[in-house]
Parts: sequence; C-alpha cells; structure tokens
Amino acid sequence: MKRALKFLLCIALYGVCAVAYSAETRVIAEKLNFPWSVAELPEGGYLVTERGGKLVHVAENGTKQAVTLSIPDLYAEAQAGLFEVLLSPDFSRSRALVISYSCGTKHANNTCVIRGKLSLQQPYSVIETQNIFTALPKKDGAAHYGARMTWLGDGTLLVALGDGFVYREQAQLLDSHLGKIVRITRSGATPEDNPYTHTKAPQIFSYGHRNVQGLIYDKDRDAIWQHEHGPRGGDELNRIEKGANYGWPIATYGIDYTGAKVSPFVDLPGVKAPLYQWTPSLAPAGLALYEGDLLVAHLAGKRLQRFQMTAGKWELEGDYLQGLNQRLRAVYVGPSGRILVLTDSKEGQLLEVIFE
Amino acid sequence: MARVLIAFLIAIIGAALVGTVIQTQFNLSELTALSVVIDMPTRMNTILHDLLHFGPLFALILTPTLFVAFIVAALIAKKLPSLERWLFIVGGGVALAIAFLIVDSLAPMPTLIAANRSPLGFALMSITGAFAGWIFDRLWHPQPRELAEELMQ
Repeated sequence: MKRALKFLLCIALYGVCAVAYSAETRVIAEKLNFPWSVAELPEGGYLVTERGGKLVHVAENGTKQAVTLSIPDLYAEAQAGLFEVLLSPDFSRSRALVISYSCGTKHANNTCVIRGKLSLQQPYSVIETQNIFTALPKKDGAAHYGARMTWLGDGTLLVALGDGFVYREQAQLLDSHLGKIVRITRSGATPEDNPYTHTKAPQIFSYGHRNVQGLIYDKDRDAIWQHEHGPRGGDELNRIEKGANYGWPIATYGIDYTGAKVSPFVDLPGVKAPLYQWTPSLAPAGLALYEGDLLVAHLAGKRLQRFQMTAGKWELEGDYLQGLNQRLRAVYVGPSGRILVLTDSKEGQLLEVIFE
Repeated sequence: MARVLIAFLIAIIGAALVGTVIQTQFNLSELTALSVVIDMPTRMNTILHDLLHFGPLFALILTPTLFVAFIVAALIAKKLPSLERWLFIVGGGVALAIAFLIVDSLAPMPTLIAANRSPLGFALMSITGAFAGWIFDRLWHPQPRELAEELMQ
C-alpha cells in the first residue's frame, strides 16, 4: 500500500517514475562467527554454516544450537573453511543435503562437496556423510574456492569453484577444476550430457571463472545466473551456458591488485561477455531470486543490490542496507519467500530483509 | 649528499622501469601460452599502462628495501673497498628477493606480483634490485675508468 502511494505521488510529481522500494531489516540471530551460508528448514528454523567449521541450527526465536557434523579433512584458514549448506529439492522427504568446504592441508587443498542427511530429531546431526566431489588439482594457499551451489531443474547439482588466486591461467584449461563451474549428479557421478566428458575433468560445465560467489538456477526463465569476483574491478554478472568460456584471465574488465594488467582485452572472440560488471569492485557474495528480481549481497560494497529484468537486460534497480555499514556475505530466499541476509564478521548476524 | 640522493633516485627509477617491463612480459607470455594473440601495439600499450599503474607500487617496494640494503652495503664496503660495486649489486638483489618474500607473507594473496609466481620470474624481478645497486654505485662512486668514458663519441 505504502509502495503504491509512493508510486502515485511520484507519477503526480514527475510524470514518470521507477518503482522504488525501501528495505527494513529484522535481526533473527546474532554472534555468528563469520557465517557463510544459510538454509531455511521446512519444519522452521535455519541451518547456518560458520566458515571456521561449525554448522549451527538457529531456531525461529534466534536461539542457536550446534549441529553435529564430522568433516575430518576440513581445512579452515583465511578464505578456506566450511562454505555452503544446500538442502536437496526433496529434503522434506529425504532429509538430504549437500555441503561444500575446503578440504586438505595448507599446501594441498581445494573445494570438496559431501552429501548427508539431517536427523529428524533435535539436537540435529548430519549423518551418512559421503564425499561426492573433490576439485583437482590440490593447490597451495587459502584463497578462491568458489563453493556456491545450486540445483538445476533436472536434479543435477552445479558447484562453482575458484581459480586458487595464483593459478589463474588454469581457469582456461579443461583438465583442471580450477576456475570452473562443474555439474554432477546428487551421488557425485558425471552426467553423460556434460560438455567436456572427453577431458580429465569431465564434470566441467563452464570455464574461465575467477572466484564464483553467487550461483542460482532461475526455473521460471530456465536460466542460470552467476556472479564472480574480479581483481581490482571487473566483478561480473553472467548467464551461465553449458560449455561456455567466461574469459578469466584472458579477457577481463579488472586489473591486478598491483595495478598491472592481467589481460589487455576486455572481450575476445569465443568469450562470453558479462551481462553487468562492477568497476570498481563491490565484491558480490550471494545471489538470490526474489519476485523475479536478482538480489546481490556485497562484501566490500556493504550493500544489497536489486536488479530488475528490463527488455531482456538486468538493470540495477537500487542499493539497500548501506545504513548497516556491514559486509554482507550471503543473500538467500527460502521456500517461505522470506529474504535472509548474513553479515560477514566475527559477530555476524542473520537478518530478515523486508522490501516495502 | 645531493649526489647520493640523485644516485638513489635514478637507481629506483631505473629498477622500477626495468622491473615493470619484465613483469608485463611474464603476464603476457602466460596469455600467449593460452593461444591469445597479442600484437605489438597492444603489447606496447600494456607496458605503458603498467609503467603508470604498476611502476609506482614497485618503486614503493624498492625505496625502503634499497635504502636499507645500500646502507648495509656501504658499511661493509668501508672494510672491503675493493668489493664495493659487488656489495651494492648483490645487496640490492638479495634485499629485493627478501622484500618480495616479506610482502607475500603479509599480503592476503599468496603472491602479490604475478610474475613472481615462477622461479624464473622471481629471479629476474629480484635482479632488478641488483641492477639498482649497480646504477647507484656507478653514479655515487664511479671508478676511474668509468669517469674517463666519454659521454658522446
């Protein structure tokens, strides 16, 4: 109602007006230690991953309880740790979920995915865990893991990966998982219709990515939306297509942190150009669909952005939550339609965002 | 004193120019290895961009590093005057290599300068410190035969 009145007032004053929203927040839970992802449980409450390695159940009233989860090969340091928890499409029946994390040691690690089942009774535990994907090769250092995941309409799973920072050229090599988005079945098998099944990394679905931090399947448009971090500038919003090359590091709008050019080219033949690019970088982290719009949370940019599809193109509708002055790690819209946002700090919060 | 300052300034600028061009070639060679064709105008434009945007950062790393290295070299050279030139050359190179390792241990990324990812790149970038040492001592304490060289034939 308030929005309709604002719109009418705007029309009366200016003749033409974009629909502007205002965003309110409500704190659901506090004191989460660098929360990374959230999943809304059908029985109420939420699962939240903390990068340090804990899986936490947050009740509707904000009380927290640790979920028993055993990941012996978890490697947590700097950007490495526990990443995304994603419920299976049939979670209500199967209790199945998948979890991405960094596995290995300081000098030999990469992104791994396990599947498991959440117990029916509280206190919750994740049982019957089993590895379904390990990104190869194992690499040195604790940077750029990607690790966002989404289910496609055919029940297969997309897992976004990173380039490991110092291995950027491997994003163009089809025998390495670094800098790729991979597609696997829920048991970890490689679907026969993957585009590069003849290579040493047959799980590859798309390549040329730097550090993917947002990935979502839009079933209404049958499209996959993704965003990834550029270095200094060149953060990208892309539509992911099977087998396509997204350019890193041979074509980019970003330059290296040192000021040096990573590549002289912003586009090249055979490379998909971004639908939208952020220069200077806002460090997008988390991507969600809400009423057909895209919501993008930002770390360095400390804001939530809303994009609307206009004439087949994503256009920035507005910036929100800048008043919080918080790095935002993730945005998620669950089955209930509520918008959830995680702030990125030692005293992180789980927020509900209400657009009016 | 003015001679020392001018010599130091020229040494920093010389090393920053050479180091910048070296790192650009390493970055571009990684792209050509991926079958990207880079023509000469594009290569020259990239060098120019890097001189303007990478050069100042590299000069910022070089300045404190060589300041300390050259003081140490000068002190040792008092005891071993016959080795002065080599003390500045070796001192500049070793100090820059150590500075790279320190910067990489402090920076959030494993390797700040992409060219330093390979042993050859690390060695060549470090040698720019040795080049700075040579320039500095050549200007500060030119040897008699160097003074005898005619500037223009």
